[in-house]
Amino acid sequence: MSKGKVWKYGDDVNTDVIYAGKYTYQQLKPEEMAARALEDLDPGFAKAVKPGDVIVAGKNFGCGSSREQAAACLRAAGVQAVVAKSFARIYFRNAINLGLPVLQCAEAVDQLNAGDEVEIDFAGGKILSGGRVFTFPPLPESVIGILEAGGLLEWTKKKHQFR
Amino acid sequence: MGRTIIEKIIQAHSRDDAAAGRIVWMDLDVRSARDFGGPNVVKNFEQEYGGAAPADPRKTFFTFDLCAPACSLKYADNQQACRDFARKHGIEVFDVDRGVGTHVMIEEGLARPSGTVVGTDSHMNILGAVGCFGQGMGDVDIAFAFKTGRTWFEVPESVKVVLKGRPSAAAEAKDLTLFLCRELGTKKIALRSAEFYGEAVRNLALSGRITLCSMITEMAGIIGFIPENGPIVADGDAAYADFIELDIDGLPPQIAVPPSPNTVRPLADLRGTRIDSGFIGSCTNGRTEDFARAAEILKGHKVKKRVMLKIVPATRRVYEEMLERGILETLFQSGAIVVNPGCGGCAEGHVGLTGKGETQISTGNRNFPGKQGKGQTYLAGPAVVAASCVAGEIAGPEDL
Repeated sequence: MSKGKVWKYGDDVNTDVIYAGKYTYQQLKPEEMAARALEDLDPGFAKAVKPGDVIVAGKNFGCGSSREQAAACLRAAGVQAVVAKSFARIYFRNAINLGLPVLQCAEAVDQLNAGDEVEIDFAGGKILSGGRVFTFPPLPESVIGILEAGGLLEWTKKKHQFR
Repeated sequence: MGRTIIEKIIQAHSRDDAAAGRIVWMDLDVRSARDFGGPNVVKNFEQEYGGAAPADPRKTFFTFDLCAPACSLKYADNQQACRDFARKHGIEVFDVDRGVGTHVMIEEGLARPSGTVVGTDSHMNILGAVGCFGQGMGDVDIAFAFKTGRTWFEVPESVKVVLKGRPSAAAEAKDLTLFLCRELGTKKIALRSAEFYGEAVRNLALSGRITLCSMITEMAGIIGFIPENGPIVADGDAAYADFIELDIDGLPPQIAVPPSPNTVRPLADLRGTRIDSGFIGSCTNGRTEDFARAAEILKGHKVKKRVMLKIVPATRRVYEEMLERGILETLFQSGAIVVNPGCGGCAEGHVGLTGKGETQISTGNRNFPGKQGKGQTYLAGPAVVAASCVAGEIAGPEDL
């Protein structure tokens, strides 16, 4: 488990503010994508984010277009996980396929504040912060496999195991 | 516990328990990509898997339907990149002469009742019309599906929608569909599978089933099925997340007004709105029956001089039927423009785009700002589009 700091946002964070439409047709390297993450939501984010940090947001995170870069840029920025009350389904799918853990935990969202230090136990379904423990339903084993491999394409190369 | 249609189809393709809410691995009968998305699928595949072969080239296809034949260098390059990849691996390409991928798959028997098909088309769920699972996915998903023949999927909950009564004689399948876009909005069947019941849908021919199922995406649903008189039924004790009953008795023709397919009003409210162009086609209304209905109205009439009527058959087979049945001649004589099969104006494809200030009435499925150009797009059924193009303003066949 690695420690990280909370970045807190509200409901309906859409893919345009996570990764602006004007960049979607450019082929950018991961570090260039990371530098543009959340540009229109929180201009200070890309410069200050550290590996292991966690984004905490409200309902319907990732709504809007189906662009995969909106998940890829956060992973490239070192974000350990996004914790939200709910996710737009295409975003949820893209995030897992690209190796970005997405967790639903309303209690953590309500109680965590920007700057809090958190640790996440993915297999155990726990978010730990300053003595508080928030639980979330652990992701299915197959999904954890994809996340651990770093995404769907890497997972095929490394394991290619199906039940 | 009994199973809904979506649970049954996924269960037949998975070793996991395919109950609603579960994430399962499922086998895919067909995996496909088209000229939009396809080149990125190829790029991802080659980057990640090198020269390795797809799991089964016979179950893997390319369908070129967005810009057919290519009208820009970008599309020409992209299509050729897919062709090169296909030739290398022995994959069949339904090329620029064939038409809308989902429709070709239905015609070719590749999309079968209880089957599973994925592709890079957000309207892939149109295959629900023949009782087949269809889902549009991203480039990474499809590259993975090419390589493994499988995908992971969260089995959706199902909603039972029962339609009471009989629409008016003037209403077409599109009018029923637009009415549902309004009533169900983008929340009531969101992320769920919808099963439609009732006399009005039971009697729909394949073309009408395609129209309804094509717009489940605009209702934010995963997929829609019409079980009655269809190839696959749900168990009597299947569990539904919601039950919705709608009265459609006497339903008149409907029109979706800008800015969304869910802002729908009766034709009567819009009659007289001046139009500059019309479009008949798309995966929603591109079947022979749609053009036959338009021809019936256009026979003996002319498209108004300042109006363009653009017609795009969904597939080459539809085009052929239009030729054989004299529909093509009627459309030509009326002054309509008929072009090669394909999708038409969606995703900056080909025919059907509007310029700034232009007002178009279209049988397509989306009228979001910018989707079909800078103009304003109204969505309607083929009869209303045909009549409007003769009148030069929004009108029904009875107004001619």
